[in-house]
Amino acid sequence: MKVEHANIFIMSAVHVFRKELGIRLSRESLSRKDSPLPSMPISIVLGITGAMRGQVVYSMDTSFAYNITKVMIPNKLPMERKQFVNSAVGEIGNMVTGQASIQLAGQNQRIHLTPPAVFTGQGLKVDFLEVPTVCLRLLSEMGILEINIGLLDGEGM
Amino acid sequence: MKTGIIVDDAAIMRLRLREILEPDFSVVGEAGNGDEAVRLCGELTPDFITLDISMPQTNGIEALKQIQENYPEVRVIMVSAVGQKRLVIDALQYGAVDFVIKPFDSDRVLQAVHRVFG
Repeated sequence: MKVEHANIFIMSAVHVFRKELGIRLSRESLSRKDSPLPSMPISIVLGITGAMRGQVVYSMDTSFAYNITKVMIPNKLPMERKQFVNSAVGEIGNMVTGQASIQLAGQNQRIHLTPPAVFTGQGLKVDFLEVPTVCLRLLSEMGILEINIGLLDGEGM
Repeated sequence: MKTGIIVDDAAIMRLRLREILEPDFSVVGEAGNGDEAVRLCGELTPDFITLDISMPQTNGIEALKQIQENYPEVRVIMVSAVGQKRLVIDALQYGAVDFVIKPFDSDRVLQAVHRVFG
């Protein structure tokens, strides 16, 4: 996992949150760990194959997820909005990873993303890959976004 | 009024795309994966579809190939976060008429569909 990959994800997250949600993100911390195990109650997991392989796991508090949904569909009533929360945060994870994949793939590589899987609640039982992972924490006025990036070079790299 | 189908595995994006398109076009169906998209093209014979790439089961590129083979009259506009240069070229070579990268401006989507019908 190269440090420049982390920078690509930071730039992608900042771009997507600003353009899609009007939310400003700033970097709080960067640390290393052994797997992309998330630390907050809502997690969005995307698998990556092709020119790179691994997992990217986003994590946030429930209130942040609700606020993201509210910004994305402001005209819906709160009860209607509730059913779109997983879809909203999954799509944001997809957009950030997709945006990062544009930079990571460059001119000639292809990077494939799995559709996002969204998990809610603590005590998550998911088999995360054991790969060197960079954990980014980005701050906003609505809450903290954690991005766990566990990526290895894949075919053709 | 031209008819369209929205294909995206995220329900919230189907909702938003419908809100963007419906004043000008008639959205006659929605699908959450590529297989369903191909089936609906046969059943509903739309004038256009907006097609995501990263979806469960059959992805958007595979669905695009099948739609072009079986229903070449349907105009396909890709709407995806995965706007890698190589994948954009693949999609255009397989017959897509435009590629809109998420996150998008509403006007960009609307213009892409209007442009298809001159």
